[in-house]
Amino acid sequence: METRLAYTPISGERSHRKTDLAAFESSYKAEITSIHRLTDHENLYRIQIVDQPERERFDFMPGQFLMLELPGIGEAPFSISSSPSRKGDVELCIRKAGSLTNFMAKLERGTYVGIRGPFGAGFPMEKMYGQNVLLIAGGLGLAALRSPISYVQENRNRFNSVDIIYGAKVPSQLLFTYQYDMWRADDIRLSIIVEKAEASWTGKTGLITKALEDIFAISREEFFQDTYAIVCGPPVMFKFVCNMLRQRDVPMQKMFVSLERRMHCGMGKCCRCNVGSTYTCLSGPVFDYWTVMNLKEAI
Amino acid sequence: MIFRIIKKEELEKLFELLASGSRVIGPVETGHDRNSDPIYEFSEVSNFSEIRLDHTMTKLPAKKYFLPYKEDLAAFHMKGRDWDKSVDYHCDSPSVFFGLHACDINAFNRLDKVLLGSSYPMPYYAAKRKNMFIVGVDCVPGPYCFCRSMGADTALQGFDLFVTDLGKTYFIEILSDTAFNFLKRIKTSEPVEADHVRYMDIVSKKNMKFEAHVDTTDLTKILDMEFQSDIWKYWGDKCLACGTCANVCPTCYCYSVEETVSLDLQSAKKTRQLYSCNIIDFAEVSGGHNFRPERQTRLKYRYYHKHRGFVEAYEDSLCVGCGRCGEACLADITVPKVISSVRGGAV
Amino acid sequence: MAAARSFLGVPVYKPRVAFFELSSCEGCQLQLLNNEDTLPDFLSLVEVVNFREAMTGGTDDYEIAFVEGSVTRGDEIERLREVRGKAKTLVALGSCACFGGVNQLKNRFDPDWVKKEVYGDRQVESERAKPLEDIVTVDLRILGCPINKKEVEGIMVNLAIGKEIKTPKYPVCMECKANGNTCLFDLGEPCLGPITRAGCNSCCPNGRAGCWGCRGPAEDGNLAQMTVIMERYGFSKETIIDRLECFGGFSDYASQLRTIKLKNSS
Repeated sequence: METRLAYTPISGERSHRKTDLAAFESSYKAEITSIHRLTDHENLYRIQIVDQPERERFDFMPGQFLMLELPGIGEAPFSISSSPSRKGDVELCIRKAGSLTNFMAKLERGTYVGIRGPFGAGFPMEKMYGQNVLLIAGGLGLAALRSPISYVQENRNRFNSVDIIYGAKVPSQLLFTYQYDMWRADDIRLSIIVEKAEASWTGKTGLITKALEDIFAISREEFFQDTYAIVCGPPVMFKFVCNMLRQRDVPMQKMFVSLERRMHCGMGKCCRCNVGSTYTCLSGPVFDYWTVMNLKEAI
Repeated sequence: MIFRIIKKEELEKLFELLASGSRVIGPVETGHDRNSDPIYEFSEVSNFSEIRLDHTMTKLPAKKYFLPYKEDLAAFHMKGRDWDKSVDYHCDSPSVFFGLHACDINAFNRLDKVLLGSSYPMPYYAAKRKNMFIVGVDCVPGPYCFCRSMGADTALQGFDLFVTDLGKTYFIEILSDTAFNFLKRIKTSEPVEADHVRYMDIVSKKNMKFEAHVDTTDLTKILDMEFQSDIWKYWGDKCLACGTCANVCPTCYCYSVEETVSLDLQSAKKTRQLYSCNIIDFAEVSGGHNFRPERQTRLKYRYYHKHRGFVEAYEDSLCVGCGRCGEACLADITVPKVISSVRGGAV
Repeated sequence: MAAARSFLGVPVYKPRVAFFELSSCEGCQLQLLNNEDTLPDFLSLVEVVNFREAMTGGTDDYEIAFVEGSVTRGDEIERLREVRGKAKTLVALGSCACFGGVNQLKNRFDPDWVKKEVYGDRQVESERAKPLEDIVTVDLRILGCPINKKEVEGIMVNLAIGKEIKTPKYPVCMECKANGNTCLFDLGEPCLGPITRAGCNSCCPNGRAGCWGCRGPAEDGNLAQMTVIMERYGFSKETIIDRLECFGGFSDYASQLRTIKLKNSS
């Protein structure tokens, strides 16, 4: 007969499966292989999972995010800005905004970081096959939109008409300017608007809603019934944009937004990202607009 | 379930058996408050006599033993631009929890749902939870207790054995084979009809002693309806935003993570710290935007998460009605009062 | 010579630091010298060029100046301005430098009476006690009476590796509960823990002594409600104001409170 309580060890084997205990603090070691300065405030980091089989298995959907960790400095969620076809050789567009990102800006190529994920729900790209797609971004929202844009580029013939509508405060804050011609070359219509022109700016000036109105003006009524919209940007921006889309009868279930919240785990534990009582990290960060309307305190 | 009767002195023998091989945590008396009432807390005990089985609510739950306020999630050894990471779940032996009330056992059961039963189970919690031997003990409801309203006044699972004081003997509910095997080593007897009658009498008397109640009927919907209610401002103005309610709660698990570098710059740590949704920067994001800058929106969120969101996700409230938050709140914000006011009751 | 250190490839900055004191007990500086276990590592992060309490000599060629104490004399104002002019970063060290500290208690009395009471008939210059930021720009505040060495060590590490420095926004109650203390109010003691900024690891309540607010207000501290609670627990207005005024972190609210009639006030 047993005389003492048995000890049940919890295995610490590395695992990335959602149901495994070891998945919780399991991270991929990844190397910063390039740093590309986009503006005064944003850099594009190329980050490659070191282990090649792991890198190949790193499957994600456009719109999903990962947790990036600098040991001793901090960990934070970032939308993946690269195409899912590139797997665990990801690109992250990072703005200097806090403790982690300011430190990040000082790193050099060849530094190792930790990544966990991918986490959350992405944009349902396959549902959009055969449909028109409006990709709408305000400011840093383009970072989250770049992955679905890449997906559309790589699968261009599966989609009907595709528009990118992108607004920034000033021309010098425009992100990914070097890619605009490539997007156009892939039969994507690109409308760019800035709130305030700087010298040499010849494009549109105004709020993003103005750029959207211009698209509406040249679109037929039927266009909107077969349209999906992906909207990334600050809450005040997506609220206005989604309301305009609703007035054109784009179904709310066909509009998707990505919410930004504080996150410490990405796994539905720390509660920091809760909106009302929904975990942004598990149910989001991508939500259709109907769900957003039903979430308390989302907008 | 299997039931047994033991003589009172046998419980000490059971304690000795359990304590001989494991750490035992139990409710002890640590002093008296300003009203001369005893103060109880969970502490490591080495003698059976230290345990107060008749304890009323402890000020703090036994949380520090299964969800420590601070815990290192990972350690890093720095190697220039590279580093090594190591992870430790901080549990290397089983612990006995001797004398938990039904509410605290139910707190485990509800925490299990989110920390073990969902995707990404939490190994730090699992390691401790899977190495527990729990002896439950019956209780008399105090003025702040409303566990009955939250369906947490009896424990149906999540323990090894449960002890009810029948006066001259103890009535034992046996849930695990481990407990069954331990009980083989002390003197027990089969309960007779009179024991059942006595047990049921004690339970029904206990049920009549509750002074605090919460009406949970349609509460998830009512919280939605009253989301814009002015009542939240009333409570928000009172709230100290001190986080005490979360810290004394046996089910609050929200946390913060901080990374620190050692003084010699050779190593680093990632530390989890239990947090509270009432704290000002709970929902503040990088760059400074705060999604809940006002006390009232944070307090509302707390009720929303515990009494609506968790119910929606796990068909159970994240509140077990232990009453600790209401008792500890200096501003006298209690769950029964808040819920009643949200339902339209006077404040 | 040792190779230049780096953290994650980012060069470590080893600042030249100096320590100065104005009107103070110099206890905060003493805290820095207190922990011999970690002192060598601590000193390897900085180059101390001026520290009267710990070394002889010293130069005025420093980047970071730590200034302890409050400003109570004209020559201290001059000295502080001079230090500000030389330092890239000026750090207010401890409650006196941050809020006036215990020294500012005298501000509520008639200055002539205070001088007479303390110095008798000797002619001494002693004005109202002021925090450093009344005179110069302060870049960083290290709170506490005294400062918490462990917290300062963390701050030094962050300065060295170039990581942002953060102090908790939450009140002492968070740390007090984590330490398993019984609430001082339950024991019949007044305590400012619910409104005072944490970071001290609730050291006073750990020793069963109520908090006196040496680290100043927590963010979003509910001072009005705290007063209501103190009253409800039977503490007089004088007791409340005494606590709030002790270190100067709550001085605006305390003087506001003086004008309000409370239930328990005599």
